[in-house]
Amino acid sequence: MHGEHIKHDFEPKIVAFVCTWCTYAGADLAGTSRMQYPPNVRVLKFPCTGRIDPVFILRAFQKGADGVLVSGCHPGDCHYMAGNFHARRRFAAFRALLDFVGVDLNRLQFSWVSAAEGGKWVDVVTELTERVRTMGPMPEFKELEHEEQWSTFAEATADKSQVLNTPELKEAYDSIG
Amino acid sequence: MNAKANKNHVTSIEPAYYQAVTEAIRKEAVKILKDETVVGVVGYLPGRRQGTASPALVTTVEEAEKLIFSPACVNNLSVYLTKAKKGVLKQGKVGIVAKGCDMRALAGLMTESQLQREDLFIIGVVCPGVYGFGVERTGTLTEANIARKCRECTVHMPEGADVAAGTHTELADLTPEEAEEMARIEAMPQAERWAFWKEHFSRCIRCMACRQVCPFCYCEQCLCDKNRPQAVESSPRPAGNMAWHLVRAMHLAGRCGGCAECERVCPMDIPLNLLNRRMAKELKELYDFEAGLAPVDKGPLNQYKEDDDQSFIK
Ligand code: SF4
Ligand code: SF4
Ligand code: SF4
Ligand code: SF4
Repeated sequence: MHGEHIKHDFEPKIVAFVCTWCTYAGADLAGTSRMQYPPNVRVLKFPCTGRIDPVFILRAFQKGADGVLVSGCHPGDCHYMAGNFHARRRFAAFRALLDFVGVDLNRLQFSWVSAAEGGKWVDVVTELTERVRTMGPMPEFKELEHEEQWSTFAEATADKSQVLNTPELKEAYDSIG
Repeated sequence: MNAKANKNHVTSIEPAYYQAVTEAIRKEAVKILKDETVVGVVGYLPGRRQGTASPALVTTVEEAEKLIFSPACVNNLSVYLTKAKKGVLKQGKVGIVAKGCDMRALAGLMTESQLQREDLFIIGVVCPGVYGFGVERTGTLTEANIARKCRECTVHMPEGADVAAGTHTELADLTPEEAEEMARIEAMPQAERWAFWKEHFSRCIRCMACRQVCPFCYCEQCLCDKNRPQAVESSPRPAGNMAWHLVRAMHLAGRCGGCAECERVCPMDIPLNLLNRRMAKELKELYDFEAGLAPVDKGPLNQYKEDDDQSFIK
């Protein structure tokens, strides 16, 4: 039950959005079968991949996820007939959008894991965790989250006069104390 | 779109062309108001300043005789048939003046059951282009003052209108600025792309003008206004801005007709239509779908095929 626990410098936070009928059951099977996988993953259960809105993925990244996994039933196995087919199109489009704005798609994994595939769950989670571990923390969305427009500008350039280039902006900045 | 063979290439579009379109619109509007085909016509009236135009709903023959079409007729009028203005349609059939790109919005709205074809009388405009923003409005439309979107327009010749005003004329050899800009961004290293969009999005003041002007943002409750739970922060700060723009682009994917109204009204000059175009391109490549060319049963993200590409899924 207690696998060897290697201490790493960086423990990635992985958020997994899974469908309750297949992948959640698959992850559960992995657990009850005492399979070992990285404890980095936080599992969030949804009725269907069709319910997983792209905004959830953004939210996960903003709140500190270094990697996101979205996983549901194999095509044809959806409890609601076609939820995963719709999700597949939506996520194909969403990936293109994220890529266009400069998000590294290696941090975002989609998979089909059935209720019987405890082993595949372990593989997918392990692979994503290790991949993200080598990539390091994901700073982009976190930075946004932390940023107040002006404080960032001041941080970004040692000489804030370069950015706060109007007297009004400078005065406003100085007045925040 | 398939009328490429008949087009006239010219170096400038003289006011006379717009005058001819204006006459045709007036004639048609007067006719359909007189014979009570429609209760009103949504079109353009001269703006208060020289070289401007304002959208208007005209209901009398006298007003209809004042309708115009000029390069200043930039607005996509289909937005007046959605949202709060839906009341217009309750009175009866409505006429609408529509350029090619506005026709795409109408077709999209029909696809989404927001409009019924039989409720509309469409006066299609064979449109050579409109003014871009911040240009001198001299009357003659040239390569120098034409809107960005018009450089790559594929719908100069509107299809599916009840009548068409004008003949087919377009400016010759325009550089496809948006396509070039999109290719430039796509070629950037990933971190540079992030920096590019981050800079743009960080200037967003969340005025929501882009949403208000978009014919497809007709949701009674926008996801971005919801605060229980809050999906997207609503204050103009970096994280919420990024989320807002990604949500907007996603919601418009496969629906946006590329009228570029969102970009035109943005007070912060954020190149929103680049995102729209990128999504349109993706959906064309993946599902061979182009929004708004004709009403369809379902948009690309409301349907699926069992053998859709899933190479990105493990
Ligand atoms: S995009 Fe085409 S139809 Fe629309 S205003 Fe420009 S030229 Fe006219
Ligand atoms: S942004 Fe999305 S939710 Fe908001 S009005 Fe537009 S389409 Fe609707
Ligand atoms: S997203 Fe912009 S370009 Fe697309 S339909 Fe809406 S206003 Fe027009
Ligand atoms: S119009 Fe421009 S500034 Fe206003 S919310 Fe849209 S993108 Fe932001």
